[in-house]
Amino acid sequence: MRKKTFAAAALLAAATLTLSACGSGDDSNSPVAVVSEDTSQKAATILDKPFEKPDLVLTDTKGKKYDFRKETAGRPTLVYFGYTHCPDICPLTMNNLAVAKKQLSKAEQAKLRVVFVTTDPARDTSSELGKWLKGIDPRFVGLTGDFATIQAGARTLGISIEPTHKDKKTGKTVSVHGTQVIAFSPKTDGGYVLYGEDATVDDYTKDLPKLIKGENP
Amino acid sequence: MRHLLVPAAVIAGALALAGCGGSDDARAELSVSSSYIPQPVSGMAAGFLTIANKGGAKDELTSVTSDTAGSVTVHETVGQSMQEVKSLDVPAHGQLVFKSGGNHLMFENLKRKPKQGEKVTVELHFAKSDPLKVEMPVKSATYNPATGH
Repeated sequence: MRKKTFAAAALLAAATLTLSACGSGDDSNSPVAVVSEDTSQKAATILDKPFEKPDLVLTDTKGKKYDFRKETAGRPTLVYFGYTHCPDICPLTMNNLAVAKKQLSKAEQAKLRVVFVTTDPARDTSSELGKWLKGIDPRFVGLTGDFATIQAGARTLGISIEPTHKDKKTGKTVSVHGTQVIAFSPKTDGGYVLYGEDATVDDYTKDLPKLIKGENP
Repeated sequence: MRHLLVPAAVIAGALALAGCGGSDDARAELSVSSSYIPQPVSGMAAGFLTIANKGGAKDELTSVTSDTAGSVTVHETVGQSMQEVKSLDVPAHGQLVFKSGGNHLMFENLKRKPKQGEKVTVELHFAKSDPLKVEMPVKSATYNPATGH
């Protein structure tokens, strides 16, 4: 009996889908997409074993040496690995963080460090990074430098990146971005929370006040 | 269970006919919805839309042009990188979806930086169907189509 009920429900769902798929093209309120969106799941993943801060000594957007461990010690810090020639996920992730940051109090904003590390240092020079971040949040830190150093630092955070290369078929330049934002605690300096690329402005807005105190979101 | 399967197939068949009647001449019937461009940060932008095909034959999106950009290319996301593709299928009775994290249009060498509230006109070219002109609205940089803001 149970099986039958399930089959009937599945059939009904299939029928609904068939109908909406063949409906008029104007499906701007798109009920199917809303159903598939799982909003019950939390964006944050809290790590049982936090990551140690990577030993990254790189160059910031002003061309100055930036020692990541030293500069961010005791500060709530968010790190993302991406590149500026990325039209989709990289600017979306950084803009999500920028918009969420603006909802914080001035004091909280002053504490927070948001660090963008390029995965494409050949194209992302200090000035290119600076120009790009200025359009998102001029207070964000942008780091560039030796690719091997960046790759090794990313690897200690479980983020795997490859050097920028030419696609053999199209001859176009292909770069690779990380898929996670990692939050480091101001209390322990450990990287204890991960966000995937589905995390929204609302997720970050809700969580940032806790992250700033080193609490679990 | 076996008893259920036969009527289920019949009903599904009937629904398919009712929903998609008049397509026996096997042509693609294309329409575009849910298009947007997140306000770009630099001289490059992404674009997202859905191309629905009500017809009984597949078509292929072969190129995209726009007066606003020096070039518009079609990309799919493979793992953590993007790959340019020559064409993408729009299946019969199906759709081709461009969304953040998946397929996207990439606008390069923008002649002006489109601002939220503006529109960017693009022309979609297909293997068989006539080109479609789309006015893509520019949304905020953090626009999320699932929530609409």
